[in-house]
Amino acid sequence: MKHLSGKTAIVGAYESPRRDAPRVHPFALQMECILGALDDAGLALTDVDGLCAASGDWAEGGGTMDVIELAEYIGIQPTYVNSTDVGGCSYILQAGQAAAAIATGLAEVVVISYAACPRWWPLSTPSFDPFVFPAGPGQYEIPYAPTLISTYGLFARRHMDLYGTTPEQLAQVAVTFRGHAAANPQARLRKPITVDDVLASPVIASPLHRLDCCVVTDGGGALVMTSRERARDLKRRPVYLAGYGAAVARTQNSQIPDDLSTPAALSGPRAFAMAGMTPADIDVAQIYDAFTITPMLALEDLGFCGRGESGPFVAAGNLAADGGSLPTNTDGGGLSSNHPGKRGIFTLIESVRQLRGDAPGIQVPDAKVALAHGLGGTFCSAATAILAV
Amino acid sequence: MTAMTTLPIPDETSAPFWEAAREGRFLIQRCPETGLYQWYPRAHSIHAPHATPEWVEASGRGELLSYSVVHRGNTRGDPYTCALVRLEEGVTIFSRVEGIAEGSLRAGLPLAVAFHRLDETISLPIFRPPGDASGSDA
Repeated sequence: MKHLSGKTAIVGAYESPRRDAPRVHPFALQMECILGALDDAGLALTDVDGLCAASGDWAEGGGTMDVIELAEYIGIQPTYVNSTDVGGCSYILQAGQAAAAIATGLAEVVVISYAACPRWWPLSTPSFDPFVFPAGPGQYEIPYAPTLISTYGLFARRHMDLYGTTPEQLAQVAVTFRGHAAANPQARLRKPITVDDVLASPVIASPLHRLDCCVVTDGGGALVMTSRERARDLKRRPVYLAGYGAAVARTQNSQIPDDLSTPAALSGPRAFAMAGMTPADIDVAQIYDAFTITPMLALEDLGFCGRGESGPFVAAGNLAADGGSLPTNTDGGGLSSNHPGKRGIFTLIESVRQLRGDAPGIQVPDAKVALAHGLGGTFCSAATAILAV
Repeated sequence: MTAMTTLPIPDETSAPFWEAAREGRFLIQRCPETGLYQWYPRAHSIHAPHATPEWVEASGRGELLSYSVVHRGNTRGDPYTCALVRLEEGVTIFSRVEGIAEGSLRAGLPLAVAFHRLDETISLPIFRPPGDASGSDA
């Protein structure tokens, strides 16, 4: 994939400042985000010939033909579409596939868009995702009423048993990102917390406490991508897609690997290889943090620390923006800033802002290379992007 | 036991599994070509994709691999324990563990299958300490 490195760029980015959007349909929120990203790029809706969306899940407003519904709603007829839904990292995967589409001439200006409104969307709305539907493989698991959080709990508990990871180390992830959120006026939760606060919060699904879990917000964001050549003529400094990788692995809990490796162990090396880089080249990282255990496993799979070493790695302060070796989730992440359900797009948006120097909160000085990494479901999928200016 | 209210939707492949569960037997699949076991059940062998797996009765014994006690979320009743159980046959299955207090849960605890009868057609396998058959009502 090396030939694809740097051939395309993100030229517009927008994150809705909303965290509550009562009675706002998610498509209306997507329109706010799409226009915001196009304005940022200095482009118009009429310039768009590609649309990427994954809006068919609960609280996202669409159904099985979501990308058509969205195109109709916003009023375009794109000739390139991608509605691949691999969960929270869908938008990172779509950025990589959009790059390939642009580089091969399938599309010229691609919008990647996401919004969801879980705070008001009716709980009774049916869902057929693998975490609730008791047919096929799910017939052997869903009757036991697993919750999403309890599956992360299975990962966290086994990580503690295998590697000696402690609840305090997990909690440090939430404490660090809350510290970053304190500087972000858009973040949902900004009051600093301590490790003791995390451990004193109620257990939701052991060993995870409430403050080990992400916030639940409404929200959305969008990106605009185009070719390297066209990017040079636009309003903002292009942020080039240097590396990309994605992989899918499993949906069922019974298929969790013994050593807790996740598909990030495939997506990460592919992204680094395409970029011709190593973890040491990353100046700032945005790593999906649905729960405190989530970025810890990613740090191991991506090679920022060894297998089983993420506990001591995060406890040593490596993720802190002030002095850490790998400033991570500078916006506060899903644990503190926003989490409508698939927050992968925000890892790209904050990466762009860091590289352009216009972050809403903490700004890492002179960042030249950023990593955006997401997962889908319960470590079911992974996608990694390396962005550079 | 917190109520398990979502019934599985059996199909052609899984019918023998649920029939045996009604009789209190726990079946898993074995590949006829490689002799390797697989879980979850499929219409094909993941070890030899053109082969049709055969059903065999499992020992029903295993050990606790990982667990999470659900205190808040789906539950409208008491907390319940979701678990990964490693069977003696080497496959890992997802189930519930009952009959062990939360503070006593430890990876490696020995477990044995028991069954909860949910209706006339479905008896759901769960796991308890060996020799403790109090939870089996299949």
